[in-house]
Amino acid sequence: MALLELSGLTKRFGAFTALDDISLLIERGEVHCLLGENGAGKSTLCNLVFGVHRPDAGTMTLGGEPFDPRGPAEALQRGVVMVHQHFSLVPNMTVAENLMLGRASAVLKPQDIIVRMEQLAAEYGLEIDPEARIDELSVGERQRVEIIKCLLGDPQLLVLDEPTAVLQPDEIDALLAICRQVALRGKSVILVTHKLGEISRVADRTTVLRQGRIIETVAMEGADIRSLVRSMVGRDVQSAGSVLAAAVDIEGKTPAKSSSDVGPTSPGEAVLQISDLVYRDPHGVPRLDGLSLTVGTGEIVGIAGVEGNGQTELGLILAGLAAPSGGAIVVGGTQVTGCTPQEITDAGVGIVPEDRHAVACIKELSVAENLYLGAIGKFSRFGLLDKSARRKAAETMMRDFDVRASSPDVSMASLSGGNQQKAVLARELSLDPLVFLLAAQPTRGLDVGAIEAVYNRIRAARDDGLGVLLISSELEELMAVSDRIAVIYRGKLVGELAAGSFSREAIGAMMSGHAHV
Amino acid sequence: MIDEQMAVFIGSGLRLAVPIIFAATGEMLSERAGVLNLSLDGMMLMSAFTAALASWATGSPLIGVAAGVLVATAVAGAQAVLSVTLRANQLVVGIGFNILALGSTTFLYREIFGPLSRDPIPGFAQLNLPWLAHIPVIGPALANQTGLAYVSILMVVVTWLILKYTSFGLAVRAVGEDPRAADKAGISVARTRYLGVLYAGILAGLGGAFMSVADSNTFTENMTKGAGYLAITAVIFGGWNPWYTLAACLLFGFATALQFLAPALQLDVPVALLLLLPYLLALVAIAGFVGKSRQPSALTIPFERGG
Repeated sequence: MALLELSGLTKRFGAFTALDDISLLIERGEVHCLLGENGAGKSTLCNLVFGVHRPDAGTMTLGGEPFDPRGPAEALQRGVVMVHQHFSLVPNMTVAENLMLGRASAVLKPQDIIVRMEQLAAEYGLEIDPEARIDELSVGERQRVEIIKCLLGDPQLLVLDEPTAVLQPDEIDALLAICRQVALRGKSVILVTHKLGEISRVADRTTVLRQGRIIETVAMEGADIRSLVRSMVGRDVQSAGSVLAAAVDIEGKTPAKSSSDVGPTSPGEAVLQISDLVYRDPHGVPRLDGLSLTVGTGEIVGIAGVEGNGQTELGLILAGLAAPSGGAIVVGGTQVTGCTPQEITDAGVGIVPEDRHAVACIKELSVAENLYLGAIGKFSRFGLLDKSARRKAAETMMRDFDVRASSPDVSMASLSGGNQQKAVLARELSLDPLVFLLAAQPTRGLDVGAIEAVYNRIRAARDDGLGVLLISSELEELMAVSDRIAVIYRGKLVGELAAGSFSREAIGAMMSGHAHV
Repeated sequence: MIDEQMAVFIGSGLRLAVPIIFAATGEMLSERAGVLNLSLDGMMLMSAFTAALASWATGSPLIGVAAGVLVATAVAGAQAVLSVTLRANQLVVGIGFNILALGSTTFLYREIFGPLSRDPIPGFAQLNLPWLAHIPVIGPALANQTGLAYVSILMVVVTWLILKYTSFGLAVRAVGEDPRAADKAGISVARTRYLGVLYAGILAGLGGAFMSVADSNTFTENMTKGAGYLAITAVIFGGWNPWYTLAACLLFGFATALQFLAPALQLDVPVALLLLLPYLLALVAIAGFVGKSRQPSALTIPFERGG
């Protein structure tokens, strides 16, 4: 008999149907992967099982009994545990202290926890020093603590929501091995991922989700990975060239003609030169390990890679928000290694940072104020601010960049994500001088229309002779916009593909470190 | 002669440190849970006044202490409602309570005691423990203290044990560092913080009551003279560690007591300047140490689930 049975589960958020009539069996002792693109409904499904959300329709049974958790506490009671993408460990306490947190007993008994940890270490190979402080541990080790926390209560079902997104490849291997160990002991594992390599290594069965529906459930023995990919993306993997068109088509709109159809102009002289860039994070973990890269004028270079391989740090360093431990960065002949953001801006670098809310804009200030954040002096006379001049200039810029807001005086927070991003682009692309643009995850969280506008802006900048570095976790975005794609793996570039030779498989293989081109 | 002066100096140093030890020890636990009680001085002042009043009215200093602690705990409860449940700015709330405490105690003191302010208030006697008195130099100073003084040291030990060896202490530390993680582990952030603030209130109450019914046997307007602020400073100076905080309190106590030693050492320093010393020391301590010791990450930050 199956451990968990889902029948007809439906979950809506407002008008949006996140899950539509999901029926699924999770057997005892199996590792069941949920595969799907962003927004396919994988996390929602996990949250229903863990009681974070409640279904609008459908029922669940666990071990033959009805299962309708009203909250995580109830799910925990029934032996369902979950490791979330964001860890919940107290950073300056030890592993043992974190494991004792919230357990009933007036006086702490660290010895009991240590004994239990030794048992788990023997059973699953989950070795970790109970006296180590959380903030001294790597991300992979912290995740291990989370898993130990889950296994302490001897659960029936372990749910892991995209556990590998934050891990280094060797840590991923260890995690997958643990999943197998847990399954071997008769417990079930639900593993959410959108990475194919992991699935073929660990899953007994895989369920593919797309737009909230189950496309297929397949046993992994002798399964065809290619057909899984087809189910996941809903089209043939070869048709990567028209990704944007496909993305738009999902929304039932006609794809607009984009300037990329003109094709890349031939890249000119180098505008950005990175040589042997090294970066160690505050914990001493190497994040960039001798990365070298050149971007020419009139060229868009895409950086592909599994998250956590150094692309975020590369973006921070280029923006002047982190100081490299070694190596050199030259923009248009000017050394900008370890320079301040102001100096980097002066060198002609426009930055669209990864974290729009934290870094790119001040949400409480008006659109006009945000558009001229770095150029306040431009509108001041004798130290007084000329607001009407700034307002006029902002209105012009908003018109040019199609930033939709009722007035330049409304707060940035009142704009949609797409319009905020257009405003950021407007500001950065209006810099003078400007020779290079860094766009880090520029379309994250945007709707399709805004995504297209961002793509067009980036392409237009390229056509104006700018060098552009596009860091993105969306392969399709990279393939649609880039003239060249370099793949980052463990802090190094491990391969490069020129336009016309892009293929999902080749890039995917390089991203997982398995092949070099 | 010098020996006698030394004994007076040590004795008064300890005596002056006791209220700060009480208040700082409770405040340390509350801050470890993430709540800063700037109202500490107000709690002490209200307790000092209430203890004096109750002791004078009933003739029992013990009832005085109990009444003082009760009032300080009530202030702490109000502080907790405002800063934990209503998520008000902890610093502003604290300042408000201090002003309220100063104003109300001054007013009530004049109204009630006005013509009677020369009346002695029944206080605790010194214990005079013979087995301590035999220790050379510091012996007499250690032995001739009221019972409450020994309780203050006991509270340091108790607080240390709570933080290190109990689930509640672990919860306090977790809530002060990462309330979100503590919440997910099934700990009630609000409950833990309430208990932390109330604990600070009880101890500040003991410290305030000590001033009026165990130390001076009288009440004077603004008699805490910023002892609550010194206690907060001692917590920072002590790096949120019970033993270092105790050391900082003793340092402040002895700095205040220097005025008694000055004549013996024939120092030609105005007494007013010596009275300034502990506050000056507190400033130096904060300036020199606040950057180095790490405060609880969630200190003064209200907790809200989600978002």
